[in-house]
Amino acid sequence: MDLGLIAQFLANGIVLGTMYALVAVGFTLFFGVLDVIKFSHGDVLMLGTFAGFTVWLGLEAVGIINPWLQLVVVLIASMVVTAAVGAAIAKWLVLPLKKAPPLNTLLVTLMLGTAIREAVRLFYPDGSNPKAFPALLPDASIDLGGFALRADSVILVVAGLLLIAGLNMMLNRTRLGLAIRAVAQDEETAQIMGINYMLVVLATFAIGSGVAAFAGVMNGLYYNEINFGMGLLLGLIGFSAAIVGGLGNLYGAILGGFLFAGLQVVGSALLPFASAYKDVFAFAVVIAIMAWKPTGLIPERASERV
Amino acid sequence: MTDIVMSPPVRRAGWIPGIATVAAVALYGWAILSAEEDWQVLGLLALAVIATVIGMVSGFGRSVQASWAAHESKLNGAALIGIVAVIAALSTQHFPLLMLSTMLLYFTASLGMNIQFGYTGMVNFAGAAFFGAGAYTAAVMGNVAWFPPLLTLVLGGVVSMALSLVLVFPIVRTTGHYAAVVTIAFGVLFKTFLEVNEILGGPQGLMVSSMRLLGWDFMDSPQIGGMKLSFYVNYALLCTALAALVFIAVRRLERSWLGLHMDAVRLDETAAACFGISVKKTKILAFLSGNMILGIAGALYGMMISFIAPSSFTFSDSLLMVSMVLLGGMGSPWGGALAAAIVILLPEKLQFLQEYRFLLFSVLVILVLLFRPDGLLPRQIRNYFPGARSRQ
Amino acid sequence: MTTSPLLEFTDLTKRFGGVTALDAFSMHLDRGEILGLIGPNGSGKTTSFNLLTGIYPATAGTIRFDGQEITNASPRQVYEAGIVRTFQRSRLCLELSIYDNIMIGDTSRLSQGLWANLVKRNSFRAEFDASFQKARDLVATFSGHLADRMFEPVGTLPMIERRRIEICRALVSAPRLLLLDEPSAGMTHDETDQLMRDILDVRARGNGLSIIIVEHEMGVIERITDRCVVLSYGRKIADGTYAEVASDAEVQNAYLGVD
Repeated sequence: MDLGLIAQFLANGIVLGTMYALVAVGFTLFFGVLDVIKFSHGDVLMLGTFAGFTVWLGLEAVGIINPWLQLVVVLIASMVVTAAVGAAIAKWLVLPLKKAPPLNTLLVTLMLGTAIREAVRLFYPDGSNPKAFPALLPDASIDLGGFALRADSVILVVAGLLLIAGLNMMLNRTRLGLAIRAVAQDEETAQIMGINYMLVVLATFAIGSGVAAFAGVMNGLYYNEINFGMGLLLGLIGFSAAIVGGLGNLYGAILGGFLFAGLQVVGSALLPFASAYKDVFAFAVVIAIMAWKPTGLIPERASERV
Repeated sequence: MTDIVMSPPVRRAGWIPGIATVAAVALYGWAILSAEEDWQVLGLLALAVIATVIGMVSGFGRSVQASWAAHESKLNGAALIGIVAVIAALSTQHFPLLMLSTMLLYFTASLGMNIQFGYTGMVNFAGAAFFGAGAYTAAVMGNVAWFPPLLTLVLGGVVSMALSLVLVFPIVRTTGHYAAVVTIAFGVLFKTFLEVNEILGGPQGLMVSSMRLLGWDFMDSPQIGGMKLSFYVNYALLCTALAALVFIAVRRLERSWLGLHMDAVRLDETAAACFGISVKKTKILAFLSGNMILGIAGALYGMMISFIAPSSFTFSDSLLMVSMVLLGGMGSPWGGALAAAIVILLPEKLQFLQEYRFLLFSVLVILVLLFRPDGLLPRQIRNYFPGARSRQ
Repeated sequence: MTTSPLLEFTDLTKRFGGVTALDAFSMHLDRGEILGLIGPNGSGKTTSFNLLTGIYPATAGTIRFDGQEITNASPRQVYEAGIVRTFQRSRLCLELSIYDNIMIGDTSRLSQGLWANLVKRNSFRAEFDASFQKARDLVATFSGHLADRMFEPVGTLPMIERRRIEICRALVSAPRLLLLDEPSAGMTHDETDQLMRDILDVRARGNGLSIIIVEHEMGVIERITDRCVVLSYGRKIADGTYAEVASDAEVQNAYLGVD
């Protein structure tokens, strides 16, 4: 295999890995504060991406056509919508089920994801067909000896990684981050110490969802297409990535995201008969990893009191 | 105060409320299966809601429950007769019989899923994959002329169980969300595999040969007294037999020490282990037996609809199966029957709902989880033998 | 050699990360003895139960039961050897009936095979009838009025009754060693007394049950134990009759924090 092709696979893997990591950190954050899995995550980000897309249509209609301005507005719109929906789900669906078995939260959000997906398919104009997402980033590319490095990929990856780094900094350096970590550690004590529990939980869900919206827009820009089902697969992959990496820590999610992307890329590069088997391969490895490390590659601290 | 406590005279509940319910449900089932206009279906649905409310307010529901607890075997027999009677009443109509058979197969599948979700508390988000494994087994074995189709059903269960064996190791080692990922990953993997595998027909799927039993092809229409019946009568009767058989087996499982151990594992693994219950063995039994049931039901489903494709066995279909278990009530077999009826019948009967069915059921399940987490027909306290609970 | 102790810890140690929960703990329990395991919060009492019942692996040291080494045996093997426990926080299955909860404790004597459970329903029925009678008698000892309510869910019962059912679950398999983890928690003085009398009743009927009891209620310890072992910060600081350990200066320091 020639070097150019390998570089192509590598670049592809890095873009995908960034995208998956952005989704996976949401799962990790939610699990951190509430010990729940919010499975509707992927579909919420799809909803946000559609919101961004709708805003773009609106901008086009009123004649604002500067791509950079459009990009910023689209990003803000989808992140705000996603954050609001994420927080609303936390408040009205996840928190009321706090006392119920954890399985119920997983199920209720699974079903909510289906409901959102179906609602977009049925009620968004022509929602069952894919939409052409605009290419808002410069389409220049640099030729590196048989391999074209796309400028948009570089911008997306850099922006995505900056976002994750920012999130990490927020968690470790700000008062809000401290509050989130306090709630994650011990909810009761945090409350006694005067932390506004509800606010912290909602903020966490808003932030986690907003970050995922970036992945949604990124997905649209990279493939120039969005559809109602994109959230399901992204959510599944993000969830698998968070679990494989180990729930409850940011590095696990990032590791899981890049690992999954790596598996897909390796799968399509090394399985000679058909790259169609790449997802089969990736999910098979996920199952194998779960058998080997039942609580993920970076395990959470087990603390069951007997 | 006297030391002697008079125990109240135990009046054993009569069988009449139970029989009346069976007869009413059978009549209702016949009516809704043969209803053709939307307004008829909607009217019947309204009737069901009103009857439920009256039953709950008047206390008739309670006496039905008591009656069922006291005369269970007889009433189960009556329910079986009721289904056969409905089949007889519909015997010339293709479509209602196909729906009834599908309902029975989904009911059977829900019994399998109940062993996992309801009793043992294990998640399985690949129900449609194990169901599909059975159906694909039937498609492949249909080309082997000498192989008896009845054994194909068994083989469907065995193949599904063999696939589960691959997952058993990660499933037993993981718990909760980690186990969920294993089954979800498997479900996606299975469907993707079918789509890209040319030998198994790819996205177009495969034809499935029909059931043949003692030289009788199920595609042939039975003739009785010069009247030509729908060939679906064959399938409806076989589906009834399968559902009844699985129902008995799962009931016995629940009402045995093994079923008790499954409950113990679901509710508190640590305590269960401290009392000598093998958590691993219990989980393996639940996972394998549940998936075997799914595989058998899937094999018969494939033969009945005679054509299968990967698009029938997606993650959404797995979720629909999970919805059935939740709607009916975790661990409640009759709940599964009710939920299967709702899930199959509603979109088929009200065609304007067909497009909205996934949306409708997901919202329904969310409401149930929020406001009635035990399901529509909640599971009852374990009754090891009919009447055992009232004996003290 | 009937004089060998029933249970023997030798230098039993458990570390969680950097915290030493149990530090070279050695002790023994004689056959038929009732031993009080006492000490301030976090002194390693429950940890020793968890090591003994196989919930946590030991970091070092050995546990011998009836001459057999059972260090790091699985919870199931420990149960089969005849050791059962109750939990600090009640761990009953609230959705299940009283009868079901008690039968969870009798695994070793109930059929485990698929064939016996699903197909041979007549012999299963005989097993059910016998075990029902046994469970009912046990419940009658501890809580007479519940004996006629064997098929009610445990979740509807008050805390005291749940404690009693938990003890019935532990006793139904006729164990050789019973581990009680703070049985008096959430009970009044009289209720605790009654519970202890009932446990001693059952013990008197049977085959010399030995008991280790973890308890903060010193009155209970004084009345029922033959001997006490005192733990502080994971180390044994005293071993003797209640009167002996109560007058021990180091024990008083541990409890009162006087230096």
